[in-house]
Amino acid sequence: MFEKLEILKLAHGMATHAATRQSVLARNIANADTPGYRARDLPSFAATYHQRPDTFDMRETRAGHLVAATGRTPPEIGQIVRGAETAPNGNSVSLEVEMAKSAETQAQHDMALSVYKSTLGILRSSLGR
Amino acid sequence: MSDLLKSLSVSASGMQAQSARLRHVSENIANADTPGYHRKTMSFEELVIRSDHTGQVKPGPVRLDQSDLTRIYDPGHPLADDSGHYDGSNVDLVVEIADAREAQRSYEANLRMFDQARQMTQGLLDLLRR
Repeated sequence: MFEKLEILKLAHGMATHAATRQSVLARNIANADTPGYRARDLPSFAATYHQRPDTFDMRETRAGHLVAATGRTPPEIGQIVRGAETAPNGNSVSLEVEMAKSAETQAQHDMALSVYKSTLGILRSSLGR
Repeated sequence: MSDLLKSLSVSASGMQAQSARLRHVSENIANADTPGYHRKTMSFEELVIRSDHTGQVKPGPVRLDQSDLTRIYDPGHPLADDSGHYDGSNVDLVVEIADAREAQRSYEANLRMFDQARQMTQGLLDLLRR
């Protein structure tokens, strides 16, 4: 609805990233005892946010520039395989690591939702309601 | 949101697989004193539907542990042979208890992930409320 607002788009992208990462982590934990399964993960949101598709957008070329808000879609999220250390059955999932990462993911999701909510609050108060 | 719903079903499949494993463990423990009983072992595999990796886990086929049965000396036992021995089971209670603990730990981890995905979904739905 408010796609023109960069901050809402940012919050949307961040929440989407958190949800996708959560599903990847849930998959790792479900397969914590599957022989030969390698743990997967996503690159961080900050890393994916700055990878932008090659378009004719304005770009920030100096530190002080603002990011162009035109036509940016959240980039495609690629999966990375993580964990060199494996159990004797070839599984590289560590439950502790996955739990820590999922707590991080939930915090990221909560933050994205809070940003979204407070932006809507600002819009609402600017409408005088 | 579809990612969160997917992770709910993935966690549910994990819990289901772990409880199947716990069932086999309890079958083994219940039959620890059954003569001639081979312990059941199972492994997990990834659920693939029409060459699509769903990420869900499913219990693999049940296999029997083919290691030697313990020879128990009890001349009064009805199954005892001429030397007074009979074949017990090859269940090792310590191994079974350790396996049960591992299943419980994995089950709880799946449950936590399920609950967390549920909370995140709830947070999204709360955005609709004022």
